[in-house]
Amino acid sequence: MTSITLDELLAMEATCDRDEVVDLRSLETVSSYDDHLMCPICHCPFVRPVRLQCDHVFCQKCLNSAITAFAANRDDFTCPTCRTPTRGVYLNVPRLLLNMCDDIKVRCPCRNEGCPEIMPRGHVQSHVDKYCGYRLMKCPDSSCNKKTRKKNLSPEGRCLHEPHRCLRCDEYIMEQDYETSVLRKALREHIDTCPEVVHPCTASKYGCPVKVKRADLATHEQTCPLIAMGPYFEAQNARLDSLELTIRHLQQRNEIFEDGIANIRSTLVQSSRALADQESSPANSDPPRQESSSNQSQIDSSNLYTATTTNYLLSLHESLREEVGQLSHAITDLDARASMALMNECLRLKEDMAHTNAAVGSIRMQVQWLLNPRLHQGQRAGARPSNTNTGNGNPASTSGPSSAAGPSTAFLRPRRLSDSGREGTKL
Amino acid sequence: MGSQKRIAKELAELVESPPEGIVVKLADESNLYTWNVYMDGPEGSPYYNGKFILNLSLPTEYPFKPPTVSFKTKIYHPNVTNDDKGSMCLGMLRADEWKPSSRIQAVLQFARQLLAEPMPDDAVEGRIAEQYKNDRKRYDEVAKEWTRKYAIAS
Repeated sequence: MTSITLDELLAMEATCDRDEVVDLRSLETVSSYDDHLMCPICHCPFVRPVRLQCDHVFCQKCLNSAITAFAANRDDFTCPTCRTPTRGVYLNVPRLLLNMCDDIKVRCPCRNEGCPEIMPRGHVQSHVDKYCGYRLMKCPDSSCNKKTRKKNLSPEGRCLHEPHRCLRCDEYIMEQDYETSVLRKALREHIDTCPEVVHPCTASKYGCPVKVKRADLATHEQTCPLIAMGPYFEAQNARLDSLELTIRHLQQRNEIFEDGIANIRSTLVQSSRALADQESSPANSDPPRQESSSNQSQIDSSNLYTATTTNYLLSLHESLREEVGQLSHAITDLDARASMALMNECLRLKEDMAHTNAAVGSIRMQVQWLLNPRLHQGQRAGARPSNTNTGNGNPASTSGPSSAAGPSTAFLRPRRLSDSGREGTKL
Repeated sequence: MGSQKRIAKELAELVESPPEGIVVKLADESNLYTWNVYMDGPEGSPYYNGKFILNLSLPTEYPFKPPTVSFKTKIYHPNVTNDDKGSMCLGMLRADEWKPSSRIQAVLQFARQLLAEPMPDDAVEGRIAEQYKNDRKRYDEVAKEWTRKYAIAS
């Protein structure tokens, strides 16, 4: 029973901590343990317990932190539990205590990696250090910083983290995962066909609660009433679907009609108001009645409303027809008047035309009468050109310029005569 | 840090099997060191039916340094300061009295016990302690009044 000083204890800490692979305090305990096995400082089962003079026990590490955290002089350090001044620490605690602590069942710290092991706490260090295949190890390739489960490490010390293309699915996976992913895929494929897999009845969507193994499914399906009903349900579903569709169509159409009716109603209200204004002057009693009835009909049930509205429409139609008749009368009237005016105008124009025709005829007569002697003269002149001077002197009133030019240019005369002669024939 | 592991453990225990009349929650999910404590006034005390909110803050050196407890809800009590801080004077929380082996559960139960039985000799509010000792009836009345006013509405 030798005791060491607190300073010696602190000095020990550095050496003790190194060979620990696992932090025993973070282990998940499976079995329950006595509260007395719990360190009062870290609230975990003792890890390398040490004993104070007052017989209180702590983890070595916890006591170390207690000493370093202790504010006062190290010589005045008191037990964290009972505050007895303590100078010496005993490293030997009863074997019984150590055994009880080491016997607590814990899970392997590599549980998250898949290690299912449960073991006494005393074995954890060696399990993880030597046996646990799920411990994450550094990749043997120093350039790769990924970790691999110990059991997956390749014996040749290769890096297994290079991505490889999967032969089945074209995905890129790391070599270390290849086997498991292939296995998983095979499993998935197998599950699709395995006769032992529990499968719900195919009529489960219709409410069949039966779930049996695939092998027994066929026998169940022969007796399942819901499967027999299946086609009927299908047909019903299809019918329901089509009905829904038609209902939707009808709703749309209905909306359109309702819109139209609303429009008609508004125009009706307007027209009835206009009608009332119109009829208020000739018959004072009638339009208010109609209007009130129309108001009533709007408030009343739709049947009544439609009845009165048809009446309304009919009356409106009647009045409109009358108006159209009046308009057509007026139009025919106007037509007659216009045609009369046209006739009158035409007659007058015809008379004028006759007048002018007569005038033109008389003028032609005169011209012919005037031209006749000249023609005769021309014929005679053609025979005897020396006589032109005498013939020229007579008709001086009608052709002044020719008579003025006549004596100087006796050469041109026959041509002029032929010109006028041609004019005469034209007329 | 060693302290986090122990605090998490104690919190888990308190949440899993809370002591009578005490509910604890983290004030902020990411911070283990500040807790909100909801404490029911103990039966038979003038604080009965009141719901008191306490703030428990743990030092990073926990469990080697004591936590501090303060009342967020105003309370008429000789051992709780009558100011905004509402700090509570618990004997076991004093630095020289604190032991690393003490648990938060014990602290909270002790605090609740103090509501039932104030310690006027250890008071921070001398006037209330005086009244508690000499005019118990009046103290009960005021404490009840304050409880109704501040601790029931919330």
